[in-house]
Amino acid sequence: MVLRIRFHGRGGQGVKTASRIVGTAAFLVGYQVQDSPVYGAERRGAAVVAFTRFGEEAILERGVIEHPDLIVVGDETLLANPAAGVMVGQETATAIFLNAESAQPLVEQYALSPSTIAWDLTRRTQAIVGVASALSVGLAAATARLVGLIPEAQLLSAVRRELMELHLPEGAIAKNLDLASEVFNALPSLEFPLRDGQETPQKISSVLYEGLLRGSPSILNTGNAEQRQTGAWRLERPEVNFEQCTRCGLCFLQCPDGAITLDQNGYPIIDYDHCKGCMLCQTLCPVQAILSKQEVRSW
Amino acid sequence: MVRMLLTGNAAAAWGARLADIDYVPAFPITPQTEIIESLAAWFADGTLQGKFVTLDSEHAMMTAAGAAAATGVRTFTATSSQGLLYAMEALYTIAGWRAPLVLVNVSRGLSAPITLGPDHNDVLAARDTGFVQIHAETCQEVLDSILMAFHIAEDSRVWAPVLVNLDGFYLSFTRESVDIPDEAAVRSFLPAYQPKHPVFRASQPMAQGVAVLDSSIYSYFRYQLHRAVENAGPVHAEVSARFQAQFGRPYGAIETYDTDDAETLLVMAGSFATKGKAAVRHWRRQGKRVGLVRLRLIRPLPVRELTEVLSGRRAVAVLDQSLSPGLGGILYHEIAAALAASPQRPQVLRSFIGGLGGKDISQAEFDYLLEELETVKATPYFGQPELLFTERDRARVRQQLALAGKSPEGG
Ligand code: SF4
Ligand code: SF4
Repeated sequence: MVLRIRFHGRGGQGVKTASRIVGTAAFLVGYQVQDSPVYGAERRGAAVVAFTRFGEEAILERGVIEHPDLIVVGDETLLANPAAGVMVGQETATAIFLNAESAQPLVEQYALSPSTIAWDLTRRTQAIVGVASALSVGLAAATARLVGLIPEAQLLSAVRRELMELHLPEGAIAKNLDLASEVFNALPSLEFPLRDGQETPQKISSVLYEGLLRGSPSILNTGNAEQRQTGAWRLERPEVNFEQCTRCGLCFLQCPDGAITLDQNGYPIIDYDHCKGCMLCQTLCPVQAILSKQEVRSW
Repeated sequence: MVRMLLTGNAAAAWGARLADIDYVPAFPITPQTEIIESLAAWFADGTLQGKFVTLDSEHAMMTAAGAAAATGVRTFTATSSQGLLYAMEALYTIAGWRAPLVLVNVSRGLSAPITLGPDHNDVLAARDTGFVQIHAETCQEVLDSILMAFHIAEDSRVWAPVLVNLDGFYLSFTRESVDIPDEAAVRSFLPAYQPKHPVFRASQPMAQGVAVLDSSIYSYFRYQLHRAVENAGPVHAEVSARFQAQFGRPYGAIETYDTDDAETLLVMAGSFATKGKAAVRHWRRQGKRVGLVRLRLIRPLPVRELTEVLSGRRAVAVLDQSLSPGLGGILYHEIAAALAASPQRPQVLRSFIGGLGGKDISQAEFDYLLEELETVKATPYFGQPELLFTERDRARVRQQLALAGKSPEGG
């Protein structure tokens, strides 16, 4: 039997570390383990995925987990972004764990499996560790408890090991250990049915010569980068207070992503599909006409 | 011995650390950088004694590595993909010098189009350089192979550089359980480096890598290099016997998985062989007599071992994670050539290409491969290499081509 866990979060929320803590904890229990992150847009706020597999026998699997037994979601706002792939394979997952205040509205909104469990890690992480985005330990503790195969002692040793590897000071590690215990003891353990490495059935397609245009990696309609919604990486949202704005145009000139245009009257209009939330505009605005609104809770 | 979870990159760094390396010339490239970062940290905090130098390119890095090895110090370096190709001139050069060092390559598909995922076109481009080539499947094998590689490189019968390959992402960034052997045990397996041949030393003038304008002399030295790399076959066998005696883990030039009674065999290399083993396990449960052969030593090519294990089988598929345009799978052609002299060679030897740029190989693709072997629709040898590709892959391509403004019909 192999248990497959897939972790989702945003860059900076500790998703890779969560997968490692669970990996190390399972390793300390004596299981065969494999864990790995996927590196993509390695930046703050962008969607990040990591995996942990563990089981009694050698793990004859590698790479991404398409059909996890457990999906662990550090940031509920990722559900709104299909490109983050949070729901991939949820049909066969035994459970979904959401870091959220309550599961019900999200289950309805995103047609999640009814076996979705929510727990507000952000609030407790903020209270105990002092940093709302430091979710790694909470996510790992929730996972360890839900899968039911990792005792608290091994979880805590793994938390200590992994945080030491990241050179966290002893005080911060102690707070994280408290958080781990609290989360671990607040959640139930679930039954995970044994199953083989499940796959989406696929058909083979043969590849023939398709001509120069279709056979070479050129782009004819340029400018399609617009279709990549980098606004999904945003943690904070800049908002212009038009009462105060003097139309100086500085923010329009300096936005590193070209996400600001000027309307007919010279007022800045922010393109939220592409604004990455760097908040440079806010810093630059000479009259403080740009305000910041937090969009992601765990930050 | 300590058992830990290590990434393939960390296992590579541990291998170098335990080998007590003296010199590391370094240049970063994804997905290799973690190896030199780990080594840099150990040199900085005094765990490793010796010299860690950052160079300005892979070409300079490889040249520095060869020059250092020529002075008789134990030398380690690592690169990947475009970096390996940029160093290509130096690879031939230092192999020609007979500089015994260890180079780790973290496989990554070659540009263009640019990618980060692994395949073996990069490392197989180095197959004619005069480097011995070992391909690892697991993080443990990465560490173990580096220890063995120094042994092989420094053996007087070889005295040539050794390349250890691991796949990017699938091994480089994946943690698995790894036994880190004790330093004392490693020292007894791989003693401190004592070159038995003349090397550059102060007040001991000599010349290496000299110009040879005479073609007979050139031919002679290149052929000597061939003999040396050939010798690495039996030396590998000896070294792995010693390794097994000391650490308990066996490493053949090839690894066989469920081959004993198999009528059909699948040949693979690298970390994707794990997926191949899962496919074999799946087929075995259906009562099919299928096995897998993993090529670990690629230079020298273990012709005898391959011939022995593949001969007498009904059908064999070589699943290459590489593609030589105009020819097909690189290992397929090497294996077909190796089998030419065997009267019992398999009736069917088919070529499949999979996992290019790290594309996953699903069970459906493995099933297709087996079905093709069983039905033998095409020529039994040297037919068109078939790309393992699914409708889903096709849909992704279609979507991207549309984005790029290409018509759906072709042209
Ligand atoms: S937050 Fe950054 S990206 Fe967004 S509009 Fe302001 S300057 Fe541009
Ligand atoms: S920098 Fe401030 S004042 Fe100037 S245009 Fe932008 S929002 Fe208005």
